[in-house]
Amino acid sequence: MNRLRPVWTLLLGLLITLLLFTVASAQTESDGAFRVDRLNALIFMALFSIVILIYTRWAKSGKKLFIRKINGLDEVEEAVGRATEMGKPVLFIPGLQEIDEIETIAAISILGRVAKITARYDTPLMVPVRYPMVMAAGQEVVEQAYIEEGKPDAYNKDIVRYVAGEQFAFTATVNGIMMRDRPATNIFMGAFFAESLLLAETGNAAGSIQIAGTAQPSQLPFFIAACDYTLMGEELYAASAYLSHEPLLLGGLKGQDWMKIILVLSILIGTILLSFGVGDWFYDLYKSV
Amino acid sequence: MIVLAYILLILAGAFLLYMTFRTNDRRYIYLAVAFYVIFPVVLTMQLPIDISPESQQLYDAIAALPDSSAVMLTFDYYASTLAETEPMSRAVLHHMFKKNCRVVTMTTIPLGGPSISERVTRDLAEEYGKEYGVDYVNLGYKANYVAVLKGMGSSIKAIYPADNSGTPLDEIPLMAEIKNYDDLDFICVIADNGVVEYWMSIVNAQYGIKIGSGVTAVMAPKIYAYVGSGQMTGLLGGMKGAADYEKLVGKPDAAIKGMAAQSLVHLFIIFAVIVGNVIYIVERRRGKGRV
Amino acid sequence: MRTTVPVIIAFLSGFVMILAFFFNPEKSFIGRLEPEVLAWVTIVGGFTLLLGVVSIVRVNFTAVKRRKENWPYKLATLISIFAMAIPAILPSSWSPLLGTGTGSIYDWLFNYLDAPMMSTMFAMLAFYIASAAFRAFRARNAEATLLLVTATLVMLWRVPMGEAFLKSIHGDLPQYINTYIMGGANLAVQRGIIIGAAMGAAAMSLRIMLGIERTYMGK
Repeated sequence: MNRLRPVWTLLLGLLITLLLFTVASAQTESDGAFRVDRLNALIFMALFSIVILIYTRWAKSGKKLFIRKINGLDEVEEAVGRATEMGKPVLFIPGLQEIDEIETIAAISILGRVAKITARYDTPLMVPVRYPMVMAAGQEVVEQAYIEEGKPDAYNKDIVRYVAGEQFAFTATVNGIMMRDRPATNIFMGAFFAESLLLAETGNAAGSIQIAGTAQPSQLPFFIAACDYTLMGEELYAASAYLSHEPLLLGGLKGQDWMKIILVLSILIGTILLSFGVGDWFYDLYKSV
Repeated sequence: MIVLAYILLILAGAFLLYMTFRTNDRRYIYLAVAFYVIFPVVLTMQLPIDISPESQQLYDAIAALPDSSAVMLTFDYYASTLAETEPMSRAVLHHMFKKNCRVVTMTTIPLGGPSISERVTRDLAEEYGKEYGVDYVNLGYKANYVAVLKGMGSSIKAIYPADNSGTPLDEIPLMAEIKNYDDLDFICVIADNGVVEYWMSIVNAQYGIKIGSGVTAVMAPKIYAYVGSGQMTGLLGGMKGAADYEKLVGKPDAAIKGMAAQSLVHLFIIFAVIVGNVIYIVERRRGKGRV
Repeated sequence: MRTTVPVIIAFLSGFVMILAFFFNPEKSFIGRLEPEVLAWVTIVGGFTLLLGVVSIVRVNFTAVKRRKENWPYKLATLISIFAMAIPAILPSSWSPLLGTGTGSIYDWLFNYLDAPMMSTMFAMLAFYIASAAFRAFRARNAEATLLLVTATLVMLWRVPMGEAFLKSIHGDLPQYINTYIMGGANLAVQRGIIIGAAMGAAAMSLRIMLGIERTYMGK
């Protein structure tokens, strides 16, 4: 990881330069080159980055970090094992968003871990996707997983395949796969929309074990109703750290927790101050001008 | 006669629920839902509608605009959610045309968005005798909605050099008066996807223009957050929101008609859940008794 | 080398986007970089579309050729793809039936096949919600009972018949549901999840930019 040190230094350096630039330019209006109205966001972002980097460094130095149990992720291996025993495939859907969506990237990370397990046990894996770019990234990850498990010959390019670009055409295709191929395990990770219940309910009718994870709050109730385990919100982003137990990734989670504490405190302070009618200045700190 | 039909419908629902428990086959529930959706469409029933405060807020915001204000109405939805969203667009557009607003429409949906907006606006414009290019304009679709939403802040013409049918914006009189968001008094976003949040974070937060919206029922709980915080001016949630607005503008249409079906399906689900729970509790007690 | 170059590209692209957020596009070069990067994303996406078409044709064509199980479905997929795409790609100057304008084959297929099929799929949600609610809402424990009661109240409140029933119990009950359940509990939970998820997404983005998180590259 030493090779990454210059990158960190560069990031911090650039952030500090930006801060200095802001102070030096001392603009009072928001129509200059620099958006003074977004200074609050810049300070928060710098603080956030620094806290995460500090914890990542601590983790690197060997400090043990605790991560709470996430049932849905613990069950992934179990669920793939069940598919192996039944001789049926595992179906993995990395959401219905493009690769530029961070939820999709989190899903692709989890796909890598799932592919390693399916490669290890020679369990068939099916990954239908909605976007060609997600397909390219998914193929890369799955191929790497099969190579790392020493089974490059078992890898087939069509494990990850593009099925349809339209939301409900994709849903119809996947529902068809569920009813015809009867996968033993369905894993839905990433950004889902109105199709969440259509997919999960069909999987439930087909008798599959289902694990879902999404950061879309409006779809969580549907997954909770129809799946066996559901990862909520940030649990999805924590998945790669949780599954890999890589200390560097766990460090990031710890930093994130601290930022959440800062946010909760801000909300509490703001609520109290505003309730007593003396919090306008505090409210303005968080507002875009 | 209608009352008798509804009694029969209730009995049919109870029978199908009984069959679900007996056979453990969920298709009986599907059949019951199908009955409850189709039946009120055949035997129309008008139900009294109480206006939600969020719908009233949107209505009041548009009602408070001076006559011939410039407004934007978006058609950010796919054909799949037409049943919920199109009645909203129609009701809001009725209100805008009644108020003699000058309306600019657009969409961020490539598949069907432009043709839906074209159909709805032309249909209503005819009813109110509005002239294309003077009273309303259809901008159509442009790819990459983040860039589109941001770009229209500086110049609508830079993003849309021509309208939906290819007429250059320079040749459209209305667009000579509307250069960017500064020239608009209100935006109403009708959407079935997350683009409504981009309208809030880019257009409302950065350009300070008032935005109201209409979204599908599934999305409504999330979008409530914007109304609660005072960022969004009014919200139509699902078909009920559309029905509210149809009532407010005095144009009862598809949404008000759909309320009977929605009421019956909701009541059936509640009934099924209650019966399911009673059986569950009885079985659990029996199980405990055996132990 | 195989991962270092992508990590550097990811870092630079991410950093440009962050910087651009803090600069005015009209006044500075950095501010104008954001639409440039977004345009690149669209261009790369356009090229990968071809990969998608190749994938879907290869998978389905192989299945049809080998007469695999359910091959007629695959044949239907192949026919549909070409029936929709070819007339849309060909220029409308050849015939009004070509291209994507009003009255074209594409327009006809969209309005009379695609749109009703999409609506049908969405409408199926009503059936699935009924069966999922029926299964999921069981008073197993205190939390599940609370969920059950809340869901029942909201379902009643959202429809005229239910609203009338609630009003018969207490005139202000619908208003209370709107204020306390939707505007209170619902908002608090939604915001909690949104804030948590946004922090998770930001932390993950940072990990990706710094090359700490490389699992998405199969590492």
